[in-house]
Amino acid sequence: MIRFDNVTKLYGRDTVALERVNLEINPGEFVFLVGASGSGKSTLVRLILKEIEPSRGAIYVKDTRLSSIPRRHIPRLRRDIGCVFQDFKLLPNKTAAENVGYAMEVTGQKRRAIRTKVPQILDLVGLSEMMDKYPRELSGGEQQRVSVARAFVSQPRILIADEPTGNLDPETSVGIMNLLERINRIGTTVLVATHDRDMVDAMRKRVVALENGRVVRDMVKGAYADEV
Amino acid sequence: MRFNPGFFLKEALKNIRLNLLMSVTAVTTTFVCILVLGTAILVSGHIEGIIGSVRQDVSVEAFFAPDATQERIDEARREVEGYPEVSEVTYISQAQALADFKDTFRDNPEIYQDLGSDVLPASLAIQIEDPSDAEAVAGKLKSAGFSEENLSYPQQTIERLNSVTSYMIWGLRAATALFLISSILLISMTIRLSIFARRQEIEVMKLVGASDGFVRTPFVFEGLLQGLVGATFAALLVVWFNYLFVDWAGTALPFWPISSSAVNAFFVVVVLVAVGAVIGVLGSFLSVTRFLRV
Repeated sequence: MIRFDNVTKLYGRDTVALERVNLEINPGEFVFLVGASGSGKSTLVRLILKEIEPSRGAIYVKDTRLSSIPRRHIPRLRRDIGCVFQDFKLLPNKTAAENVGYAMEVTGQKRRAIRTKVPQILDLVGLSEMMDKYPRELSGGEQQRVSVARAFVSQPRILIADEPTGNLDPETSVGIMNLLERINRIGTTVLVATHDRDMVDAMRKRVVALENGRVVRDMVKGAYADEV
Repeated sequence: MRFNPGFFLKEALKNIRLNLLMSVTAVTTTFVCILVLGTAILVSGHIEGIIGSVRQDVSVEAFFAPDATQERIDEARREVEGYPEVSEVTYISQAQALADFKDTFRDNPEIYQDLGSDVLPASLAIQIEDPSDAEAVAGKLKSAGFSEENLSYPQQTIERLNSVTSYMIWGLRAATALFLISSILLISMTIRLSIFARRQEIEVMKLVGASDGFVRTPFVFEGLLQGLVGATFAALLVVWFNYLFVDWAGTALPFWPISSSAVNAFFVVVVLVAVGAVIGVLGSFLSVTRFLRV
């Protein structure tokens, strides 16, 4: 589903963000990407979204080489990758329902489809009471659930979460993770970049560890650190 | 992509409401810019109108010296009647000239109260077939013994007008150009500021998979609406100015051929509103494009 082929990313001349990364994520997998700040997690996520280009090597998403996608087709790529961010990135002037609806609006879906689908998906993340609230009226956990709903509403094949629990308390974090796991169970490939050690240890999923831009460990049913 | 104007219009109206201060600034800036442009169109329209109506003038007047004999007058008249360009020659005696003068100023009798009957010169009022022959006729009159000062023909008026208006027109053009440039800069800065404040929104839209066009369209609608509103107000004000000016000129400048037909109000409104719309659309289009590279 996602493949990194010897990918190196330099910022400027000699700041190495990623170095010779090889990584293959299969359809339907749930993968944790762990590592300290500055280890290259966010760079990897941004590369998948084609926000930035690799300095060397090739990245494939759904068997398409990203460098062969012209700029005007980037939106199409992103519609197939749901995205959840640490800072939620909700549109401040739209209600919870409008935020979720916007992701359907951009793909040109029918008004009626949006009107039926949005309440369903908000119900799924447990926010049916909050539909008409603005982001500033919601707690951090609620905002993050809206952003998960938005990422998932157009049923992308891939869902990427960059530090989705970074701004949340542990209890709320569990709720978000459960949500991501449920989304994974219906067949979506999920990639979670995090340094939430407890979470990773508890979930026993595939763990890819980055250190100074290199993949230092890749374990099925792994933990955050080498041994638990 | 499906194009849904309703959605974009709704988005634009919502953005205007949420960024009211910025919208008011953009509308006001457009308003001032269009007002200046409109005033410039008015002034040049009326100047063109005056020059045009003078050009259409087919009358040349030749004045006789106070001591001219009747013989000299008859001779001159016969000669002028022989010119092929001339259609009609009327002799205006000193008494007739005074009567005409009194008639013109019948509302202000104090002007002619103390005027003697021999102050105004006798003259020939010459009508020409074709206005473009006026200068040629004036030339013939000069060789027939009339001096430049004793002739009145349209070309003199045009030259005098030109010497006054050419400075005015150039000053006006320079002022308009400067004002337009600064207005356009101001408008694009205003729009850019308003969009800069929302650049994170744009980034999020792009990350959710919105195409450039999808992100841009509400902004362009917003600019279009702001441009239209500002320009419409300005255009109506300009037309009202024109109405007031023509009305005022009718009483204050009776000898100036200023008429409301010199400026086509409908045309002015259409041009100004169109310019406002273009400024709004172009300004927002260019400004938002800078923030689309996500």
